[in-house]
Amino acid sequence: MPKLTEAESNNAIADRLPAMTPMGQPLDWAWLRGAPSEWGVRPKPSARGLTMSDIAIGTYGEVPEQAQRRSMAGRGSTVEGDAPDMGYILNKKSDVWSDNVRELYEEAVARQWSATRDIPWNELPELPSDIEHAVCQVFTTLAEIEMIAADLPAKWMWRMNHDYLEAKMFLCTQIMDEARHTEVFRKRALSNGGGLLYSRSSGESLLRSILEAKTYTQATALLHLLGEGFILDIFRMGELIAPSHVEKKIFRMAMQDEARHVAYGTMHLRYAVENDPDVAEEIHEALDHGELLLTTFGTNADFGSALAYLLGGGEEHIEDKGFPLQMEMQRHQFTSYLSRCERAGISRLERTKLPLDLLGIDVSKIRGTSATAA
Amino acid sequence: MSTFDVTNIKLYEDLASHMNHQSEHFRILGDADMTMVFAVQTPDKTLHFQLVFSELRCDAVDLVPADEAHMADFSLVGSVESWSDMFDDIYANGGASGPWTINSLALRGDRISCEGNDPMGLDKFSRFNQTLQDFLDGAGRLDLIRSQP
Repeated sequence: MPKLTEAESNNAIADRLPAMTPMGQPLDWAWLRGAPSEWGVRPKPSARGLTMSDIAIGTYGEVPEQAQRRSMAGRGSTVEGDAPDMGYILNKKSDVWSDNVRELYEEAVARQWSATRDIPWNELPELPSDIEHAVCQVFTTLAEIEMIAADLPAKWMWRMNHDYLEAKMFLCTQIMDEARHTEVFRKRALSNGGGLLYSRSSGESLLRSILEAKTYTQATALLHLLGEGFILDIFRMGELIAPSHVEKKIFRMAMQDEARHVAYGTMHLRYAVENDPDVAEEIHEALDHGELLLTTFGTNADFGSALAYLLGGGEEHIEDKGFPLQMEMQRHQFTSYLSRCERAGISRLERTKLPLDLLGIDVSKIRGTSATAA
Repeated sequence: MSTFDVTNIKLYEDLASHMNHQSEHFRILGDADMTMVFAVQTPDKTLHFQLVFSELRCDAVDLVPADEAHMADFSLVGSVESWSDMFDDIYANGGASGPWTINSLALRGDRISCEGNDPMGLDKFSRFNQTLQDFLDGAGRLDLIRSQP
């Protein structure tokens, strides 16, 4: 008797199985007979395990430029019948994709940390009252604004076509990151005998503007590129802001997460502009508005003054050290931001209304970033 | 006189070896994938020590020519004195003290600067900063490092 092929063997099993459940409901063994989807793929784990890039093989790795369905069916599965329309409005790859998204997802999963366990809370030193107040004001503001970077992806994710699941998965990690940032900043504000201080309208206006962006690409320009880029540089400056090694570690750990989000946003915008040049103007319009709001936010009464106070190490040196360092930080923030815009393919150098001369920004160092970075 | 010869590739190889013996410690921080360069400026020339980090390891340490060093994600550039002072601080304190963390130094940029052509490469300095700091803090265990097989 000739040996049956795998398919023939499975069909034979399916033929022998009952057609009805004991309760009289029809059974469908189609999955056992096979489906038009690709069968027999066997991705090889890389040294670190089985990554999302490892399984992006064959048709499973083909991310469509335009999604054909609007269901939650997994990319590569066989879909039969009418699946309900899930209401997705982001159905083009260029709407959400970035070429580094799989790598960033794996990195995010591998580099999760715990605000409860990984910060040496019991080593917090007693601080002078004025410094503790400044620390608490900074962390009050940071705890307030961090959650926007969770709320905004959450607002758009259910509108993203499921064919772009890697982008959605990365945004899930971002939401977890931002929850942890809110947690760690709130914990620091409460953990040393202080508490939460002021929230004012300038910060809320910026957050609302980001949340109300008309398109996801505008939203990601405002959030990932502009907002998180600025916050990333504040976290980097945490080394100079933080009065103790405990806050330094908080800032360094949060910085790592924030840099991933900026990396996604920068490369998403680049992908969007390369594949749909019409969105460039849409992004510019969002950034015209966002830069104005961010400048207002950066100089707001509470956060800005508390930062300068900490940068100066207190009252005595706020003018000769605090404010100059704050100016230096702003120069660094805007330089990084404008460089990332170049990298994203949306040069702002000719369009921005930012006072580049006043900020001391060397435009020649920024210009051409994208050309050398190819 | 510094405890360290920052112009000798052996220092960076020892740090890599130390890291590669501490996988459980680095696992807490997570995988890090980057290629970076320690550029050490001597009066005569600049030495470019290129390190390749992959997952929880430092897989390669090489002295590379300047034109190859530009291909790294980022370079940390400083004089022999600056690098020596940083490693001495790490050795004295068992880890970098406040102003001597690599992020503090690169942020001020007056003694050691973080340089690169690609903002995405430069951002890896931020993305993997704690891993890089813990790698450098290995110099605080110099005796242990040097005694390892």
